[in-house]
Amino acid sequence: MKRKLIALLTAGVLAVSMIPAAVYADEAEAPTADVASEDENTLSVYAWDANFNIPALEAAEADYQKNVNPDFKLNIITQSGSSDVENAVTLAASAGDYSTLPDIVLFQDHYFQQFHLNYPDAWQDLSAADIDWSDFGAEKLSYSTIDDVHYGAPVDNGTAIMAYRTDLLEEAGYSIDDMTGCTWDKFIEVGKAVYEKTGKYLLCMDGSGNDLPYMMLQAEGESQFTDGAPTFASNEKYNQIIADIVTMITENVLYLGNDWSDYVDQAIVGDMVAGVLNGNWIIPSMELVEENTGKWAITSLPTLEGGEGYAANGGSSLYITANCTKPELAVDFLANTFLGGSTETYDAALKNGGVITCSAKAGASDVYQEGVDFFEGQAIYADIVKMGANVPVVEQSDYHYQCRQYVGTAIQNLVAAGDTSPEGVTAALEDAQGQLEFEMEG
Amino acid sequence: MKTSRNSVNAKQRRWGWAFLIPATVMIIVMSFYPMVQALITSFKKGPILNMEMADPWYNNYARILQDKIFITAMKNTFLYLIIQVPIMLVLAMLLAQILNNKDLRFKGLFRTMVFLPCATSLVSYALIFKSLFATQGLINSVLRSLHLISDNINWLGTAGTAKFVIIFALIWRWTGYNMVFYLAGLQNIDYQVYEAAKIDGASAWKTFWRITVPLLKPVIVMTFIMSINGTLQLFDESVNLTNGGPANATITMSHYIYNMSFGQGVGKFGYASAMSFVVFIMVGILAAINLKVGDTRD
Repeated sequence: MKRKLIALLTAGVLAVSMIPAAVYADEAEAPTADVASEDENTLSVYAWDANFNIPALEAAEADYQKNVNPDFKLNIITQSGSSDVENAVTLAASAGDYSTLPDIVLFQDHYFQQFHLNYPDAWQDLSAADIDWSDFGAEKLSYSTIDDVHYGAPVDNGTAIMAYRTDLLEEAGYSIDDMTGCTWDKFIEVGKAVYEKTGKYLLCMDGSGNDLPYMMLQAEGESQFTDGAPTFASNEKYNQIIADIVTMITENVLYLGNDWSDYVDQAIVGDMVAGVLNGNWIIPSMELVEENTGKWAITSLPTLEGGEGYAANGGSSLYITANCTKPELAVDFLANTFLGGSTETYDAALKNGGVITCSAKAGASDVYQEGVDFFEGQAIYADIVKMGANVPVVEQSDYHYQCRQYVGTAIQNLVAAGDTSPEGVTAALEDAQGQLEFEMEG
Repeated sequence: MKTSRNSVNAKQRRWGWAFLIPATVMIIVMSFYPMVQALITSFKKGPILNMEMADPWYNNYARILQDKIFITAMKNTFLYLIIQVPIMLVLAMLLAQILNNKDLRFKGLFRTMVFLPCATSLVSYALIFKSLFATQGLINSVLRSLHLISDNINWLGTAGTAKFVIIFALIWRWTGYNMVFYLAGLQNIDYQVYEAAKIDGASAWKTFWRITVPLLKPVIVMTFIMSINGTLQLFDESVNLTNGGPANATITMSHYIYNMSFGQGVGKFGYASAMSFVVFIMVGILAAINLKVGDTRD
């Protein structure tokens, strides 16, 4: 009997010890050591998403090779997600050893302010290059510019889209024109009708922390922060926005997903929604539902008082790290590709990866004027670039992600209590703001 | 004669120390040094590269008491502890008793089945539970086809049910692990003791409480300490199953410490270290109480 037990334990221990071994084996294969190349024509870059960012970087490499330097080589080191890149930066910077970083890193825009605050010597700026910055969306550049010094080369365009299923709107007795520039009150009214007629939600969000409140406030031209401090609890418009969101959730206008996967895989890919509001990078997820081809249309956001609203969310930029020993090459590469030297990069990035530029010049090229079948032949790319130019610049904060988490918690608490009273909303937001202030104290 | 034996002893002792040195140095460098550094960090604040002393020096510790999320996390962790550990250990002991029965057939098979959950990785089992209890998941479709519920239950999106899922998952994952210790303990109890009890006319209930439990006491104390320790450091389930949600209803202390240090790019290592030491003290106190209660030297 004892022998059996020992055999059992041994088997268990073996099984347990093999799992981490397998995990580490995978990790060891990732090319992390090869970040700095001796070759004077090679640059290394950390990036993620083989369907989106990587094709854009490949397009830039081909463009630079063809038009500037035939010997140039871009060593693209693929990471499994944006958080891997952000963790690599945190890790290198908190160890005080930047030698583990590649020449260039790609990460999400909201992180840069915080990274620059915490690790100011980790970055090299782009002032050496002669670049027409006015060609790019001012809102996009506001993330990567500190004290008028540009650090980031924008890759994509985070302009928010409000997409509707026109067939379902019609079933409920409305059209896309009714929705363009409507108020949120009207939106709720339509949403109730759509849910009643079709059983689909007109909006969805990720309950664990979503940028919906941020985008809705940006469409009003305001920010959750004033001079670096959170001021959203006393912002009347923000109180109204949160009350509207809670109403939408309780009235089945808005589907509240538990997490990101619930939001994308269940709500959007699971065909539960008649409307999507997010950065335009959400489009590839919508397109996964092939049977809805030709049923979607894109327009601007509703606003509290009516009128078209514009917002942006997400997107990423390329930054040159302190570890880059060839800054001239890196700056020249970015200046001749993403920073507007050539439209070839952006044309190929759009074709191969669906990456939309925020450069007005690149957005004027022929490729951008083509209609997209999924959206009833609408030339959505040109439309998005045009909308991007209207996005108001609002104050950004180092604490964007913490803020959205605390606000997400406040929304969930309000929904659980079924409370949309002005006092209740203000109290919940004051609580969230208090938590955030507490965290920001240092 | 005497001196030569002493010198042999001394020589052996020297070699003994020499063999101990590598492990000692490793433990000091890899464990004790970081612990001391963490203690120093816990009195500091600011960005990681140029941290300065907090003012007053105990500021990080004072903040913990006012931090609503840490208090929520602490309540959650103790709820898991109070509900999950007793259920798990009682179940483990029952299973060990049943599987220790000499007349039971296919004992090896049953033992393997109960132990098998422990061979799964923490992350993968948490993810599997997450998909099982998803709104469109297996549990909901089974309950619906049995007509026990009419609408899908949002297990992980409701505070109460999310806590239940975590406790359920913990019990599934760890019961077998503890059972193995009890089983090993039970096999060390001489069967003659039970035969003697039977001859004396003791009931099964009495035998269990008067013979099994006292003789298993060291094992029980050990499993208690390990379970308390493990629950206070609970991390994987909170991160992977619910991500602490909804609205921090399932977040654990370790998860919050992680969020404050590595999560979301916050980098509040001073405050996170202070919270770690609070958890460390809690583990210490609970383990000390446990040892005192389970002290066999009467």
